[in-house]
Amino acid sequence: MSEPVRSTRAAMLLRSFSVQATWNYRTLLGAGFAFVMLPVLRELYGRDRERLREAVARHSAVFNCHPYLVGVAAGAVARLEAEGADPRLIDRFKAAVRGSLGSLGDQLIWAGWRPVCALLALLLLLVGMPWWVVCGAFLIAYNAGHLAARIYAFRLGWEHGTGVAEKLRQPWVAEVQRRIATTGAFLLGVLLPLVAGGRTLALPHPVIAAAAAGLGLLVGLRFGNAVRTPVVLVLVAFVLVGLFMRWQ
Amino acid sequence: MIWLQVALLAGVIGLDSTAFPQVMISRPIVAGALTGLLFGRPAEGVMLGALLEVFHLATLPIGAARYPEAGTANVSGVAAYMFATPALDVPALFLAGVFALAWERIAGGSVVVLRRANERLIVDAAAVADPARLIERNHLLALVLDFLRGAIVTTVGALAGAALLLAFAPFWSLPESVVRSAIAVATTTLLAAALSVFGGWQERKRIFLLGLLCGTLLSLIA
Repeated sequence: MSEPVRSTRAAMLLRSFSVQATWNYRTLLGAGFAFVMLPVLRELYGRDRERLREAVARHSAVFNCHPYLVGVAAGAVARLEAEGADPRLIDRFKAAVRGSLGSLGDQLIWAGWRPVCALLALLLLLVGMPWWVVCGAFLIAYNAGHLAARIYAFRLGWEHGTGVAEKLRQPWVAEVQRRIATTGAFLLGVLLPLVAGGRTLALPHPVIAAAAAGLGLLVGLRFGNAVRTPVVLVLVAFVLVGLFMRWQ
Repeated sequence: MIWLQVALLAGVIGLDSTAFPQVMISRPIVAGALTGLLFGRPAEGVMLGALLEVFHLATLPIGAARYPEAGTANVSGVAAYMFATPALDVPALFLAGVFALAWERIAGGSVVVLRRANERLIVDAAAVADPARLIERNHLLALVLDFLRGAIVTTVGALAGAALLLAFAPFWSLPESVVRSAIAVATTTLLAAALSVFGGWQERKRIFLLGLLCGTLLSLIA
């Protein structure tokens, strides 16, 4: 195996930050994945233009996964390419991991780490922290997880190659997911009385407002994110009522 | 000059939403503070950002799903509010928030248009002499297009929002106390709704109720 040099792997990692730039409805993340793979493909096939062209064509085909975990696939595929693996094996590997990398990233990051960090920021705001503490804490906490995920994903893919799927099925992944969800649920619970209690918003009739907010809480718990559009429509109606009353 | 700064910030925030580097300066709470900072009023920017953040806790940008774009719309809302009001004005802040919630649909639509445009940047590697270089060129082009998309959609939104606020806010008659109550009820509803993201009531009721207890104690002593 001709192992890619460290700078090539670093270039792939850096490129992975923009993997979604060419996201489209035909090849999804395909073009972005090829962009990430180019440093290693150039290193491996640079002198053989035909093989480089063939490899670029393979890696620009349809592909999709969570952007932070693209390193798992890119690292593993880089290893397979360096080992001279059969292109059909590489294509099968990519097809096999894309679904699981997508759903894992969605659960861990979009539905886990990101809302937890946002809730932490909201909590800091509600207890009276200045804006720069709120934003700074959010960005530092979120990106500590973000950068760790990207670097770990790339390293995992490179070190384990096709065995990476097995690594991602290990119990600690589910445990991390559970802990993030538990933290999120706790933070939601802490935030609700601060908003509904009326002190933060300096409500003139806190008991009435708390009762109305309590009703909102039950509606939110019962219907989940399906309440989002109705709430937006109610607020729009609220704006129109305010205008209508003045003109009356 | 301020509108040019807003456009540049919006371009960067539009990029951060999806294309590069997703460090989440595009989250409403950060985008709001940064926009407010341009006008010298970051505390009000972060307040409006926090309101929109609550609306987006449970919005998941999964695969080809079409979703409203919060970051750029929040820049529009905050810039419109800052332009239309000289100091903190809760009803105007609320109106700007509702405007941003509407504008994020248009911003989200612009993402769909850009993704369709990106289809034209797909390289047929078998048909070109140097597909690697073309892929890199098109990748950079896509980044530039996304930057421009964010800048244009946001600036148009900010101007439209400012015009609407200047035209209608003086005629808006609901008292500030009612507005504050509406914000409290809406945010409570959406925060409760976000529990579904963490597994829902059945799975997380114990830890959620423990949080509720801690939050109640905190609100009593705060």
